[in-house]
Amino acid sequence: MTLEIVLFVIFALVCLVSGILMVTRVNPVISALFLVVNFGSLAGLYLTLNAQFIAVAQVIIYAGAIMVFFLFVIMLINPEHEKRFLEYKPQLKIFAVAIAVLVFLQIAYIILFSKPSEGVSREVAASVKAGTIEQIGRELFTKYVLPFEAVGYLLLSAAIGALVLAKKKFK
Amino acid sequence: MQIPIEYYLILSAALFMTGIVGVLIRRNAIIVFMSIELMLNSANLTLITFSSYLGNSIGQIFVFFVMAVAAAEAAIGLAIIIALFRNKLTVNLDEINIFKW
Amino acid sequence: MLESYIPIFIVMFFATVIALGITFSSMLLGPQRPNKEKLSTYESGMKPVGTTRERISIKYYLVAMLFIIFDLEVLFIYPWAVQFKKLFAEFGISIFISMFIFLVVFELGYLYAYKKGGFEWD
Repeated sequence: MTLEIVLFVIFALVCLVSGILMVTRVNPVISALFLVVNFGSLAGLYLTLNAQFIAVAQVIIYAGAIMVFFLFVIMLINPEHEKRFLEYKPQLKIFAVAIAVLVFLQIAYIILFSKPSEGVSREVAASVKAGTIEQIGRELFTKYVLPFEAVGYLLLSAAIGALVLAKKKFK
Repeated sequence: MQIPIEYYLILSAALFMTGIVGVLIRRNAIIVFMSIELMLNSANLTLITFSSYLGNSIGQIFVFFVMAVAAAEAAIGLAIIIALFRNKLTVNLDEINIFKW
Repeated sequence: MLESYIPIFIVMFFATVIALGITFSSMLLGPQRPNKEKLSTYESGMKPVGTTRERISIKYYLVAMLFIIFDLEVLFIYPWAVQFKKLFAEFGISIFISMFIFLVVFELGYLYAYKKGGFEWD
């Protein structure tokens, strides 16, 4: 159906353009805001893939929490030397872009060559069912309980570590 | 008519390469870190694509865990950047060379 | 399934169009007679001091960090809460215990932050 294609094209373009702008802007605040746009359009792409719960989680976690955090840290850091980052090494940039384009062409060739669309066919009903919050909750709390508890410990260690690192000379 | 799976995979590869270019050409530690987040997200897009096309929710649960790890990573990584900034008064990666001998 | 999200996309579309439209239409249609006073930063009639990008205090960092961690905790509770009745009927008390362990581990972090004074403002 055509709605899916229209949405895919729009979100993919927004995603790519904002990603490229994110990398090329000098001011880190503008860069972070473009990354928010990028994460929002990725949430839209997840919707076209019928992953509803992950789309919402993307907006809540990435666009809502992590990027706010990044903006706070950008504001924490003294911006006076931003011009110094412009110290220009054109040969390095050209080399980096050339390497990236080469690797991208390689990956694209492999993807097109291996023809994954012959192996998988998308059944919309099955993919809708896979993305619902009920299905994810069911799998998460029956098969994947151990990783779930491990995530709890990971986040505990993250909280303690960040407090220790940031609080040292705080008082 | 549905979108072939290749489109999503190539889009994800392009995003990943954008992140790699960001890591290679930028010298601001925070922007390098944001490029790493972009690369994580392109990997997430691949996982969700396969999860959706195979009608299987394991990929989405994996993405869920990746998000948790990314949040923990952001908290710790930015704390390290702040600690570096306190010691060296810079976030330029070229000037952070105390480990270089 | 995508059709049911059409209202959200329409809202997103109009939000973008109106925000961009208002910003750029005032730029294009309005009269523009700039002078030095008009272009200077607005600071309630005072002479502007310093740059836009002031350094903020590290206290905000701690608040944002704790917000992320607890935001994730809530996100992990959603699927559990949605499926709780069905899973409880099927697997009994163990489904409750798994979430209980998770929350206890989290509250350890909360307790640590509280003891270290992470919630005190000054």
